[in-house]
Amino acid sequence: MNRTLQTSATLHCDLLVIGAGGAGMRCAVEVLEKRPSIRVIALTKVPHPQKSHTSTAQGGLAAVDPADPADKIIYHMFDTWKGSDCTADQNIVKKICEAAWEQIVWLENRGMHFSRNQDGKLSKRTFGGHTLNFGERSAFRAVFEADRTGKGIMDTAWGESVKRGVSFLNQSVATELLFSDSRCVGTMVFLQKEGKFVRILSRATVLATGGSGQVFKVTTNCRQNTGDGLAIALQAGLPVLDPEAVQFHPTGIVGPGILASETLRSVGGILRNRDLEPFMERYAPKMKELVPRDLVVRAIEMEIREGRGVMNPDHHIEHVWIDLRHLPQKVHEEQIPEVSGFFKKYVNLDPRRELCPVRPSNHYHMGGISTNISGQILDSSHHPVPGLYAAGECAAASFHGFNRLGTNSILELITMGKFVAESVLELLEETPQKQAEATVEKSFGLFSGYLEGRGRENLGQIRAALKALMTAKVGVFRTKTGISEAIDTLKELKERAQKVFLSSKSLAMNQELIQRWELDNLLSVSLVIARAALERKESRGAHFREDFPDRRDEYNHHTLASMPVFGDITLTRRAVDMSVFNARDENYENFNLIERKY
Amino acid sequence: MEKSFQITLKIQRYDPDTGKSWIQEYQLNAGRILRFVDLFRKINDEQDPSLAWSSSCEHGQCGSCAVRINGKPMLPCELLVENAVADFNTTLFEIKPLTIAPVVRDLIVDLEKAYEKINRARPYIIEAKPTAETSAEYRITPQELEKYVAATRCINCFCCAEACISSSKAFLGPNALLASIVRIMDPREQEKADRLALLYSDQGVRRCHTSRACSFVCPKEIDVAYFIALAKTGRFNPYP
Repeated sequence: MNRTLQTSATLHCDLLVIGAGGAGMRCAVEVLEKRPSIRVIALTKVPHPQKSHTSTAQGGLAAVDPADPADKIIYHMFDTWKGSDCTADQNIVKKICEAAWEQIVWLENRGMHFSRNQDGKLSKRTFGGHTLNFGERSAFRAVFEADRTGKGIMDTAWGESVKRGVSFLNQSVATELLFSDSRCVGTMVFLQKEGKFVRILSRATVLATGGSGQVFKVTTNCRQNTGDGLAIALQAGLPVLDPEAVQFHPTGIVGPGILASETLRSVGGILRNRDLEPFMERYAPKMKELVPRDLVVRAIEMEIREGRGVMNPDHHIEHVWIDLRHLPQKVHEEQIPEVSGFFKKYVNLDPRRELCPVRPSNHYHMGGISTNISGQILDSSHHPVPGLYAAGECAAASFHGFNRLGTNSILELITMGKFVAESVLELLEETPQKQAEATVEKSFGLFSGYLEGRGRENLGQIRAALKALMTAKVGVFRTKTGISEAIDTLKELKERAQKVFLSSKSLAMNQELIQRWELDNLLSVSLVIARAALERKESRGAHFREDFPDRRDEYNHHTLASMPVFGDITLTRRAVDMSVFNARDENYENFNLIERKY
Repeated sequence: MEKSFQITLKIQRYDPDTGKSWIQEYQLNAGRILRFVDLFRKINDEQDPSLAWSSSCEHGQCGSCAVRINGKPMLPCELLVENAVADFNTTLFEIKPLTIAPVVRDLIVDLEKAYEKINRARPYIIEAKPTAETSAEYRITPQELEKYVAATRCINCFCCAEACISSSKAFLGPNALLASIVRIMDPREQEKADRLALLYSDQGVRRCHTSRACSFVCPKEIDVAYFIALAKTGRFNPYP
């Protein structure tokens, strides 16, 4: 079948936001609050903005309340720096931590239903890695909306965007960025419902497409997080910063992969292997289950790798157990009710009487499209690309470095969303330049290729092979041999992908077609993760090389990976910003290259 | 405990290219804790990649996947095979799309259309009361929040709207009413008059027949009917 694809319409706007989650909507609303006449179009891949992955964030939102006599912004900055394993950029850490509380008030004033204390003020809770006085004791720094903080942000930001008149294109994907004289002037968009391509010309374009967790077999990420934003940025020749920095959470629930909170370990849950041995005693005789997240992740993976895991026959996922049976009834009822509810709902067991299956679950991508402190996307020479911005999980400024603290991600969404809006507003103040015709679209060739693909390869099988491969070889444990094998296999998978035959050639709401496109994105993102992981011959934050288990000073830099064509990768470096340390103000020594020990 | 079930899914298909609609039967061997979304994925991977279905978070936080299973609107991401077999007392399941919006393909409906009613209910603060101090948060006691916090848990999966027995096309539906009632009860909202006008209009609460089907099917276990009943008592009107 030979079908000529074409652009069915050209739409014009001032601001195009690609991805209508927390970061994208915060940005859109800020722009409209300042200048209501701006024409904003927002795309979302999901059926409706409210269905975005932001909605699933549970725990909280870190921010230092100026009314809190004990907490200080510098403590939050220190915790973020230390947590990042000294690879966050200190200028962005300072900027976000300083702006944090104002963003909380912004959300609250616009109707977010934060949990409250008896004075009617916002309740606060502690969270791993957040401390007072440079690590002295836990800080009550995270505001929250029960166990659905992300939903609160999403509902608020989406509600405001409806109020302010954002035009939404739901179930739409951006397939290609369009440039004219190296300025981003718009985007090719595929409207899934209609099965049509439209060209959207915009003065400013913001990528806020979220994470890439679907690269891995077990993930907390939603089904749509296939790294699309990273893939279209790579395709445009733009670099991704620190792609190798991928975070895993120790206790994902077998099945949906969602988090069984770390509270389970802090209230006394015991991890056991196939032989029911409490194995953490072997890895950390003193602290046992209470050691930091990454150590628990590695201990569980080691048990599974050495054959002491348990295979779940339904999901074909190997796991260990978390034993909560010995905990008093009161703890079950008062401290872990929602997690107990998850086990009941998704595994159909009673944690008071039965062992619960958990395993490390991919959680967050610290790496992302390289931006400056204002969210402008940088090209490989570190120059801002005019008209192009990124915010949220798809972007890296870098606030999280090589390891993200809990409650810092949704903080980053809303603050960076706002900062990007400020940059966009500046751009929109300028008189629009007369644009040359945008570059010719590649999307049609790509999609006709998918539709015309001939061969016997099966989309689902290739995707499953990719996820298993990345989990086994570029996941929690990484070695030179494993990563190299993964790189070779990824190239083979790419070739196999070209022989996928789509059973339906329809354009309208053809999930197979979109999944075929997603597979290419997953392959691209996987390959840059693997290549960068191979190059970094050290362990840092969430990146753990068994053959190089320590952090090494010669790698105190960010990775920049470019891949305009699949397989054609260039890796360069960028220095980590240490401006807080270099300013030599009070407490500056805490911002030196310190050990990440708790 | 290794156990599996022989499951039959009879799924309502629709092809927008031809306008054809039909029921297609799939046989699956399914492990006890697979969820219905896992079954759909299994069908895609092993039998029929063309079957279109919707999902996003796949753990009951987004409501994208709602369908009718043996007549009951529910989230297939939360329905385990062994629970379904026990609850419905069968291994045969008829799966159909929701009827609250036009079908796009197979099990996917046009949620954008369904959300038009939510937008009419204005899911935001229309006009905020001034705060006591500038750039500060409002004070809301936990007791005050408790009165309406359950309603804020709504994820707009439209299961309640699907189950609602009101036959009026004009009726906003339970979840849209809930979106407005939240803001009527929210002390930060100043604009109550417009909200009350809509609530007591011919699109509002008087279209409700008090079947309580909404509360019965809500995956988030919100007592939707309770909030609608509050509105019916007239206690929001006149509001200070």
